[in-house]
Amino acid sequence: MATCSPEAALEAGYHHPRRLPVRLAREEEGLGAESGPKSASAQDARDQRWQSLMQASQNGDRAAYEALLTEIAPLLRAVTYRVWRSQQDVDDIVQDILLSIHTVRHTYDPARPFTPWLITIARRRIADAARRSSSISRHETLMDVLPDAASSADHQAEHVSRDGVEHLHQALGQLGEGQREAVELLKVRGLSLKEASALSGKSVPALKVNMHRALKSLREMKIFKS
Amino acid sequence: MTNPRDTDLIRRLAQDAGPVSRPPPPMVSAMIWFVLAVASALGVVLVMGLRPDFSERLGDPLYLVEVATPLMTSVLAAAAAFCASCPGRPVWERFAPIAPLALWLAALIRHAYLAYSASGQQALMLEIDAGCLPKIALIGMLPAVLIVLMLRRGAPIAPITTTVLSALAAASLAASALRLVHIQDASIMILVWHVGSVALIAASASIFGRRLFRWPTANLAIADPR
Repeated sequence: MATCSPEAALEAGYHHPRRLPVRLAREEEGLGAESGPKSASAQDARDQRWQSLMQASQNGDRAAYEALLTEIAPLLRAVTYRVWRSQQDVDDIVQDILLSIHTVRHTYDPARPFTPWLITIARRRIADAARRSSSISRHETLMDVLPDAASSADHQAEHVSRDGVEHLHQALGQLGEGQREAVELLKVRGLSLKEASALSGKSVPALKVNMHRALKSLREMKIFKS
Repeated sequence: MTNPRDTDLIRRLAQDAGPVSRPPPPMVSAMIWFVLAVASALGVVLVMGLRPDFSERLGDPLYLVEVATPLMTSVLAAAAAFCASCPGRPVWERFAPIAPLALWLAALIRHAYLAYSASGQQALMLEIDAGCLPKIALIGMLPAVLIVLMLRRGAPIAPITTTVLSALAAASLAASALRLVHIQDASIMILVWHVGSVALIAASASIFGRRLFRWPTANLAIADPR
């Protein structure tokens, strides 16, 4: 099967990281059960409502903004769920999309329809997540059988055994809320300090301190042999 | 129904949402950039010194076309770059500079053909003129920095395309400005050294796309209530 990176696909004007090309209208139609002119007029009405909510949000109306984000969140979840199956991935990506919408909300032009603006950002962030995921896959290797721990003292020091992984999960459970959050955001999800700070609402220094303390605690629990 | 994790984030985003100022429409942004970029390029041209036969060359329609078409390429590449940083805009807008670029190439090829018809092989003699690339880079540097700064206010939905278009805008403006300085009217030389330099700069700029245009970070002041 021919492959195409999500990044290249989006740059080339395609809008979907996995199934190329998929038209915006088709995507939107697929999200609702309705079809035909009635559905089109319902979508127009919905778009007009979102347009006016976004315009009010750009003028500083927080209630309108909260209403808008609450209304679009299920749509974002549906769009993301078409590409990602894991509930955890979908949760994370939807949050990324909401944060991205927040940071570029000034780019919306009220004279233009809202839904294409929204879907473009959503697709971009979904593609970014796919790129991030494929980058992680390139650098990590899944092994059915772990190397014989007795074969090399160095390997023994570097690799965490299956029991160790379970132990790690248990140990994470024993960490404080802040420390566990730092490990999850920075190490498990692989976010940058800035991204983790935006998502958690904690400052970068606070996250660094929590991460440092978490690693120290994990070392004390003998999670890491080296 | 909204996911509880989304609800928390949405509440925090809404609390953070103040009024925002919208950027000007892409064509207006492009014109603002173009005026500033032309002023900057003319400043460098005056420092380098106008070519001695400049006033005579102004009477040559072929020369004027060869100066005007890269300028048109520059404006439309800048407009396309601004469009590419606005979510929800049609993808065809990103191809806008192709028409003036084709006109520029056609004018140079026609000029080369006329010269060949008049003087034979002599008109197609290619010499090494390695000074063009650094001069184009020098004249285009400030316009390039300026357009990147302006584009960073947009959404990085197509960072590589945006970077290539920005580089094309700055480099083609510089190539046009170079015709005011450089005593070089052999079309084959301009085709290879000027257009080649513009192409090289635009292509190599793509490497920096993702580094130049990143999603801004949301600085949410209020911590997630636990």
